[in-house]
Amino acid sequence: MTWLPDTAAGATPFARAFGLRPELFAQYQMFAELFWTRRPVDPVVLELCRLRIAQLLGSATELAARRPEARAAGLTEARIAALDHWRDTPDFSAVERACLAFAEKFTLDPHGVTDADAAAVAAHLSPPEMVAFTEALAVFDGFTRFRLILGIEADPAR
Amino acid sequence: MTWAARIPPPVFDGEPPADPAAASVLGYQPELLRAFQVLYGTLWQRGVVDHATKEVARLRNARITDCGY
Repeated sequence: MTWLPDTAAGATPFARAFGLRPELFAQYQMFAELFWTRRPVDPVVLELCRLRIAQLLGSATELAARRPEARAAGLTEARIAALDHWRDTPDFSAVERACLAFAEKFTLDPHGVTDADAAAVAAHLSPPEMVAFTEALAVFDGFTRFRLILGIEADPAR
Repeated sequence: MTWAARIPPPVFDGEPPADPAAASVLGYQPELLRAFQVLYGTLWQRGVVDHATKEVARLRNARITDCGY
């Protein structure tokens, strides 16, 4: 349960917390949903990276969530279960591996991202896709921390 | 870390946008950029936390993460 003394009306714990700033929340939703509705990057790649960031930051709430766009695009629970040891399994494609490695450094050691790391992603993503992908990582990382720090519970299964 | 060298800058027909962000690699995703700028504008211009406190936090965050930008 969040330690915020007051919460707003809303359908989910996240909405009740962020809804304390309704204008900001509405604008955040419009921004964050574009990564899924406009599909500037493969939703499976995005979902794998979102979940990997949740693992690294220890966010059970983010780990419990699933994006339906990724499920519809073929991401299975079996592959999600393998995510914490993705380097040691053949279950992930070359683009997924490059993006997961990049996402890990983005989260844990952004200065450690090398030209080779970026080139590995750029071998699979166009410049517009790389920009969208990196912005998506910023949203996943930032708002996973937002949930953790405010103690926001998991949303109902979506 | 120099992102400009890692992602080639976008090429525009005619003059590049006056907005430096739109003229940068962020210009590859104009819809994302516009939505982010709306959000960020509210955060800074119509926020409930005083601006000095937010700026101190922003600068401290930049220092901790060693972000020269």
